Amino acid sequence: MHCKDLESVLEAEGLTPLPSEAQQHLAGCQHCQDLLADFSAIAVAAKTIPAEMQPPDRIWVSVRAQLEAEGVIHEPVDVVEIAAAPQTWWSNFSALFRPRNLATVGVALALAIGAFLQTRKSSNPPIRSAANIPVGANVAAGTAPEANIVPQGTASKLALPSPSEAGVTLQQAEQDLPNIQLAGNSTVDSSLRQNLRTVNEFIAECELHLKLNPQDELAREYLFSAYQQKAELLAAMMDSGRSEN
Amino acid sequence: MYVNLKHHTLLGALSAAFLCAAIPALATTPEHQERHFTVKGHPLVVLQNIVNGRIEVKSSKNPEIIVASTAANDRVAIDIEQVGDRIDINATSLAASSDPHEVEANFQLTVPEQTELQLRTQTGLIYVEQVNGDIKLQSVAGDIHLKEVSGYIIVKTTSGNLVCTQCGGKLDFNSISGGAQILQPTLNGISLMTMTGNILYDGDFIRNGSYTMNSGRGLIEVRFSGNDSFDLTTKNSTGTVDNQAAQFLKPDSHASRHEIRSYRRLQGTVGQGLAKVELSSYSGTIRILKRD
Repeated sequence: MHCKDLESVLEAEGLTPLPSEAQQHLAGCQHCQDLLADFSAIAVAAKTIPAEMQPPDRIWVSVRAQLEAEGVIHEPVDVVEIAAAPQTWWSNFSALFRPRNLATVGVALALAIGAFLQTRKSSNPPIRSAANIPVGANVAAGTAPEANIVPQGTASKLALPSPSEAGVTLQQAEQDLPNIQLAGNSTVDSSLRQNLRTVNEFIAECELHLKLNPQDELAREYLFSAYQQKAELLAAMMDSGRSEN
Repeated sequence: MYVNLKHHTLLGALSAAFLCAAIPALATTPEHQERHFTVKGHPLVVLQNIVNGRIEVKSSKNPEIIVASTAANDRVAIDIEQVGDRIDINATSLAASSDPHEVEANFQLTVPEQTELQLRTQTGLIYVEQVNGDIKLQSVAGDIHLKEVSGYIIVKTTSGNLVCTQCGGKLDFNSISGGAQILQPTLNGISLMTMTGNILYDGDFIRNGSYTMNSGRGLIEVRFSGNDSFDLTTKNSTGTVDNQAAQFLKPDSHASRHEIRSYRRLQGTVGQGLAKVELSSYSGTIRILKRD
């Protein structure tokens, strides 16, 4: 069995006890051990995410665009059902994130979504409801999601992860990067690394500002936007590294 | 004798070195290819350029798509497939080196005016001109230039800059360090987000349009005309607002007056306030001025 075969087994059967052939390969392959460790960490992190969240439209648009770009989905997906199904939405959602980088992005995005919503607790403007996105809304076809409004305070009733959780998850993902061989000195990889530094600096700046001004909702919005950017950037870097393997 | 031998050895070594240098150069000489595909209706072109390279798209009145590519055949594999009105183009590296991104493939596409595009590259420029249709463009470090393009336009870069000239429809731009210049637009909806890049909007705001521009650290500059009609809101945490058009801004009658917030906000209305303009920056500068 080779690494690709093991990935296929993981895709098909998940983290359930692996066949003996797969376990034999796993015992001697550091790469696959790391992969399995990543999936396990993601599964653990996923359990900490509340079952019901109503992220803003733009997050769904971003996730959907990412999935379409990766070719994971081709047909319109019933976002309402995914978002509304209690306890199982995350498992359905994460099932879409087969590749490792997407899984990481998924977790980070979900945490960022939760953290973003938390900032809305005290804000007066109503927030958009992803649950009300028209079924099958086709981003690529130019159908911009409607600005569906939910009453303020809905988000505040939810138990959500703290901003630091999103940051910690992303830091863990970043710590994996040294193990990934990027493409060396290419323009692409130097750009990715430079922008990762930029994002990290910006995150640090926002976090420091928020410690001193915890009520600054705008800074918090920028912080979560930076988390999302970082998650996508890490995914791109992992993708770049994987193209070498 | 010894001198001659040494001389011949030196000549041989130089010849060998020359040949060694020349052979790879010959092997990587880019080759030009062109393929034609007949299409009906509104086609979709999906181009994934996993290596470096420039992508140029122009339109024609003909119901066909022409894909012209320039790449070194032994270093880049270019797969082109037609499925109905969809053309899939993939450029991937064949290079065994540890740096496949250094490999280059350049594309020139000629498409019908009504075409949907999904283009992705790493570092090269993406240039699209006179295409009407939904467009999704992704680049890491390459710039993106759009001219007379309309539709629902989604642009995502890591550090590439966007220049959008005379664009119509809706625009969604997202970048970390890339900037965006929106010039003479007829866009009725834009959402621009960059962490450190600059944003320039120079043009009219269409009635009932919605315009959101956010930059974490960069400069946001908006130049509007005297005929414009929009409600303006600016927000910043630690940045500044350079309002050079204060005399044209009336107090905003639509704004909520009892909001509790800890960031700074400026609100005003130009004309009847028919469009909605929201500018925000964490620590950058927001500059508002009226064109002459």
